[in-house]
Amino acid sequence: MELLVVLLVPALSAILCVLPIGGGLAALSTVVGCLAVFLISIHVALTTITRGHVIAFPGWISCDSFGALILLLVAFVGLTTSIFSLGYIRRVVPQEREGKKRRYYARFNLFLLSMLAVPAFSHLALVWIAVELTTLLSVFLVSFEDTSEALEAAWKYVVLTCMGAALALVGILILYWGMKIAGRGDFTWSGLIVASPDIPGPFLQTAFLFILVGFGTKVGLVPVHTWLPDAHSQAPSPVCALLSGIETTTVLYTIIRLLPALQGLSHGPGSWLMAAGLASAGTAAFLLLQVKDYKRLFAFSTVEHMGIIMFAAGIGGTSAYYGANLQMVAHSVTKAFCFLAAGSTLLVVGHREIASVKGLIRVSRPAALALLTGSLAIAGAPPFAVFLGEFSILKAGIQSGQEIPTVALAAFIVIGFCGVMYHVNRMVFGPPDEEEAKVRLPGSVLVALGISAIPVFLLGGYVPGILEEMLRLAAASLGR
Amino acid sequence: MTEKILFNVVQVLVVMLVSPLVKGVLNRLKEAVQSKRGPSIFQPYRDIWKLFHKDEVISDSATWIFRLTPYVVFITPVFVALLIPVLTGYPLFFAFMGDMLGGGFILALGGFFATLAAVDAANPYGAMGASRTRMVGFLAEPVFMIVFFTVSFVAGSTIPYIVHKHWVNPPDNFFEPSHVLLMLAFLMLIIAEAGRLPVDNPSGHFELAMIDESKGLEYSGRGAALMKWGASMKFLVLVCIYLNVVVTPWGLAQGESLGELLLAIPLVFLKVFVFVVVLVVIESSLAKLRLFRITEFLGGAFITSVAAMITRLLEG
Amino acid sequence: MTDLQANTELLTKLNGLAAGLFLLTAFGMIAMRQVLACLKLFVWQSILLAASATILGFQHSSVHLFVVAVITVGTKSILIPWLLVRLVSQEAYARREISQVLNIPTSLLLGMALVILAYFASSPLLGASQDPFVRMNLPVGTAGVLLGAYAVVVRREAVPQVIGLLAMENGSFLAGICIAPDLPIIAELAAAFDVLIIALVMGLLTRRIRERTGMTVVGKLASLKED
Repeated sequence: MELLVVLLVPALSAILCVLPIGGGLAALSTVVGCLAVFLISIHVALTTITRGHVIAFPGWISCDSFGALILLLVAFVGLTTSIFSLGYIRRVVPQEREGKKRRYYARFNLFLLSMLAVPAFSHLALVWIAVELTTLLSVFLVSFEDTSEALEAAWKYVVLTCMGAALALVGILILYWGMKIAGRGDFTWSGLIVASPDIPGPFLQTAFLFILVGFGTKVGLVPVHTWLPDAHSQAPSPVCALLSGIETTTVLYTIIRLLPALQGLSHGPGSWLMAAGLASAGTAAFLLLQVKDYKRLFAFSTVEHMGIIMFAAGIGGTSAYYGANLQMVAHSVTKAFCFLAAGSTLLVVGHREIASVKGLIRVSRPAALALLTGSLAIAGAPPFAVFLGEFSILKAGIQSGQEIPTVALAAFIVIGFCGVMYHVNRMVFGPPDEEEAKVRLPGSVLVALGISAIPVFLLGGYVPGILEEMLRLAAASLGR
Repeated sequence: MTEKILFNVVQVLVVMLVSPLVKGVLNRLKEAVQSKRGPSIFQPYRDIWKLFHKDEVISDSATWIFRLTPYVVFITPVFVALLIPVLTGYPLFFAFMGDMLGGGFILALGGFFATLAAVDAANPYGAMGASRTRMVGFLAEPVFMIVFFTVSFVAGSTIPYIVHKHWVNPPDNFFEPSHVLLMLAFLMLIIAEAGRLPVDNPSGHFELAMIDESKGLEYSGRGAALMKWGASMKFLVLVCIYLNVVVTPWGLAQGESLGELLLAIPLVFLKVFVFVVVLVVIESSLAKLRLFRITEFLGGAFITSVAAMITRLLEG
Repeated sequence: MTDLQANTELLTKLNGLAAGLFLLTAFGMIAMRQVLACLKLFVWQSILLAASATILGFQHSSVHLFVVAVITVGTKSILIPWLLVRLVSQEAYARREISQVLNIPTSLLLGMALVILAYFASSPLLGASQDPFVRMNLPVGTAGVLLGAYAVVVRREAVPQVIGLLAMENGSFLAGICIAPDLPIIAELAAAFDVLIIALVMGLLTRRIRERTGMTVVGKLASLKED
């Protein structure tokens, strides 16, 4: 039942948002809705730890601890971005454009709904539809600023990801056919695992490749990543946080969930995932060096991290899965924080060019600090969460005997680190061109930055027992 | 045996005598669609008759090729008429001298000589038309090949008599998807090869835009008559191959009596008439393609026949 | 028994015909220069998809597939074309030439290569099934997906790109109706709804792009790239 409530709340807030009453109702209902979703998600997560799963409709809507982990992530990032949106949208959209604000919040809620649906659904056909909807419901958020660049980004985004979804649909249908041949089980994640030994190998192989390429487009795998830096840089910053922080993660989750069903294959999916991951991480690391736009910088960093997670999932084995899941969590919260920081910077300086931002620390201390911490955290500096995830992935890689690719991955991570820090250093420090007046950030932006910074710091030193347990369960569910 | 030889001769005579009429009907119908009265359907006979009674003028620079070409153009469709089922559903005396590929080659020989002659007469329009015809020819050639391969792949033979039996025996075969697609591909090919719209406008009188017609511009008198007659026979032969072998393998004489053979003549003419009506509809509804778009038209024919081959493959 | 067999034989042939024409329309969407012709071909393709679903419905005696056919005709050949025509200005449809990245004969040859690829991609799966409908629809459907993707890649106009995407969905559904004929109806409904949203969203986006930049040639939008 909780899952239904999780899905209904954003739908309800979306309806409230479009109602033309009151100025603050849309924003208020969004924040309250997100808070409610977050609290219920915590409840769902706790329930999955004790009972294993939460079921709303057997065979259709249910989630286990892995799903609950993603649900929790989506809910958390949704909460922080909704708070951030309050201040951001008030600054960006002129006061008199009430309708535009309402549309923003309505779309925000619908987008959140589609992302919550991905882990909450367990029937594969519905999961596909939810993934497709995450694209379709976020297109107008990407094109929100209505510039020709934003429209171009939105067009690329929708065309490429819909192409991917159509390919993935073939994969899903082949899996369904395989299940029918195997002759048992629901067409759900767990049913798939149960039936997988009886599904002929070529079916699993072909379906996996279709889904990898199809959903890989949405995750931002090289070479079908081209839309990602565009969309993730042109959208309004809170939307970027959603796109980069959790949309990619939820889709990646659907790919990784297939893994336990594929373990009987002679040519396992591991090498595919490792190759795709390494290619993405490598390409993105080098592209990071040449970016001119600081939101693009973080977008490329997303491509890199998706590659890293995919690599970890490809290594296989419980410790690698644990690392992959930890990295997923760490990346989501950190990247969302980074984009919120980038959004604050944008509010302060007014443009996205790296070269013309200098001495940010003298203009706005909170924005500069957030940007610096965010960059250090996402680049993988030691006391932060991403470092922990990357470290455990590299360790698992060495332990499983994949020395050469692991070393290559480590090299890419270092290059990525240099790329991110080189640009951000120049932005934050250095003498400003002329003495600029200090700019104050809205209170809600500061609050959002504060809340989203908590897990970034916290997870670096210590993983709470509950989260630890969820990560362990999720890793175990992947290992079959 | 003698009967079969006799029938074969009748077949050739029918092709020779009926072909101007087909052209006349086609022209008349086209004019009628454009709300004009149009020439009599017997006009092509009168044209040919008139041309035979005129003097022939031959350029001084022309060689023997120019003189020989009208006879080649006239005789090649006659040869092909010996090979294909025009009136009978069973093979006649010469039937096994060549398959459909052979027929295609013989027709190509006529085209080859016509091209040479057009260049030979040193009329600039002739060379232009010749090079264009060759261009269409080069493009049509691979399509012809793939269509024939598809036919033989589907029906198991390239001998027209065997192929046309394949579609009706058993009757299910007629509705085979590959057959339907093949009809379409073949139709596009016939249109290109016979120089009809949208590839070429046979009734255009503007030399710069001509493809097929400009090759015969230099001929007069008997040469022109033979060229015209040969062209209309070639058209009828192509239509007969298309109709009797691919589209409607019915209405042909099955028994070896003269009566059945004579009965087949009006039936075949009826089929040709229906085809001509279809062709008029096609020609009236399409505009002529630009020269470099012809590749796309033939590319379409190519793809269609490949699609036919693929569906055949998938049927297993 | 023989009656049933003859029936199946005929249905197989009819289905093969629908699939063959389906493939032809998929090629046509690559080859057509007019935007409107592209849209018409899409309508025909959807009708052929529905025809195949109906034929399969007779074969499996399943009401479900008839419903799928009705949904397909309703959304893809009536609602979506109407939506696309309404949302995008008439001017885009009147345009004759579509500037393509590659010329048409090259496109057709590459399309052939894609069809062969689709055949090889689906051949390992065909070993598992002797069903003649699957043998026809799966490779043709996969080919439809790939050809649609190709159309999206080479086309520069907005509307043909949308149509290419929808054609990809058509291809997967052509494969889907025979390999998963008993997919729950709710999933089918949701998928139809989803296709409708694609058309709506992309139509609106095209309209916005036209308002903003004065054109619908999305291929010319290229300000965002790495230098």
